[in-house]
Amino acid sequence: MSSLVHDLGAGTFDLARAGRELYSVFVRTLYYVVRGRRERGAVVRQMYEIGNRSFVFVTITMGFIGMIMVYQSGIQTKRILPEFSLLGATYLELLTRDLAASLGGLMLATRVGAGIAAEIGSMVVTEQVDALRMSAADPIDYLIKPRFLASIVMTTVLIIWGGFVAFSAGGAVGYFAFGISPRTFASVQLVGHGDMITGLTKCLAYGAAIPVVSGYCGLSTFGGSEGVGWATTRAVVNSSLAIIVLNFFISGAAYVIFPK
Amino acid sequence: MNATRSAQENPFVTFAGNVGGGFLNVAGVAGGMGVLLGRIAMRMFPPRIDYPELRRNLYKMSVKSLPIVVITALFTGAIMVIQAAPIVKRLGAEGLVGWAAGFTTLREIAPLLTALMISGRVGANNTAELGTMVVTEQLDALRVLAIDPISFLILPRFIGIVVTLFMMTLYADALAILGASYCAKALLHVEPSSFFHGLTSGLLGFGDVANGLFKSVIFGVVMALASCHFGLATKGGAPGVGRAVNATVVASAAGIFVIDYFVSFILG
Repeated sequence: MSSLVHDLGAGTFDLARAGRELYSVFVRTLYYVVRGRRERGAVVRQMYEIGNRSFVFVTITMGFIGMIMVYQSGIQTKRILPEFSLLGATYLELLTRDLAASLGGLMLATRVGAGIAAEIGSMVVTEQVDALRMSAADPIDYLIKPRFLASIVMTTVLIIWGGFVAFSAGGAVGYFAFGISPRTFASVQLVGHGDMITGLTKCLAYGAAIPVVSGYCGLSTFGGSEGVGWATTRAVVNSSLAIIVLNFFISGAAYVIFPK
Repeated sequence: MNATRSAQENPFVTFAGNVGGGFLNVAGVAGGMGVLLGRIAMRMFPPRIDYPELRRNLYKMSVKSLPIVVITALFTGAIMVIQAAPIVKRLGAEGLVGWAAGFTTLREIAPLLTALMISGRVGANNTAELGTMVVTEQLDALRVLAIDPISFLILPRFIGIVVTLFMMTLYADALAILGASYCAKALLHVEPSSFFHGLTSGLLGFGDVANGLFKSVIFGVVMALASCHFGLATKGGAPGVGRAVNATVVASAAGIFVIDYFVSFILG
């Protein structure tokens, strides 16, 4: 019993400490975005690293998820509704409001989060970050800020592209598996302003959360090559959890703010 | 010399080279994973496996992953209801919310998200561990001692990952439904009892649950192979381990989505 209390207490303290440090990284990143040094090249390099190099990955995964979603909902729709005329419109609505952003965000958390943590973690264990600190340069200004700016832009761009790919792939499945004509499928009648705003809010929130969480995991690396592996693992898990929790709160808020 | 340079500078040739290189790379990884699967299968009949190592891995992979699976599943179930709520309201069928949230959760979302979380937590961790062993030459030490690294290290991890993912999907199914039922009560004022009635009244069968569970086993095999393959192929110190982990999570996620489509289509 006492060991259970001890474990719970230790867990709570760890969580609180991690939360405070994460908050401090986030606030310092925001501070440096406004007041930090200007280095245009760094942001563009990170945009290439985060955006262009995830392009194929996002295209493939979102294409397949789009096909799966339409196929599964088609099978289910067949059980209760006589026809498929609303399938495409409902799918586009769901995609705009949630699926494109959340599944794309999870994919990017995996790809980008692991990359950021592995890179910064390797810098920490080879003492390059200590060298930065010794030169009176804050690693957050040099390392996390460019990734933060690049990730916000590129996450939004990639998620919009991913949503487009998922919708097109879904349309193809709708046509070939259920005979829904593309004209019926591509209907925007159910997509409102609320859905667009919700989707874009999610893009921005995920784009901001991924580099902050995984940068924090990378900076807190210790202990050689095993430490880098651990940091990368934690970055993937924590950024994915951050996305799921943010999704819950943003979706809940959107449900209250934009009632249908 | 001149000809080679102009060929290198030609953007079309560079593009073709990149595409071809990418395909060769993917083919190399797939081949490596296939060979690894063959080697693992050879050690499975009759089973030559290190049982203490299997038990240690099962504890580390399954028991230690429970918290993130619990959090993910509860939130996911709730999100599914939030997303299904406007559709259900439009149809005026609040009693169907159990079905609407249930079928996506059980067939797709619970197995898929659990696989992604376990791939981040267990698959990546496993690669980091194997990669560290490779760069510190511990695997070579095993070979020097005439211990087969596949049956001592890889087979227990392979079985551990597959079993972990299957069991975690069972938990995730149950917890996601629980989260969904209470979210439906809060948002749509549907009592949990009528939520569960909507779930079991005949539109959903055991087939839907089995569909998800079957997929989780396939995902587990893909993930375990990717994780062990990239771990064993690590080279180049600490940055190499980071790169290997990165490659594992990317390959697992892409593999899971691609295989999911084909399995869903075949099971249809």
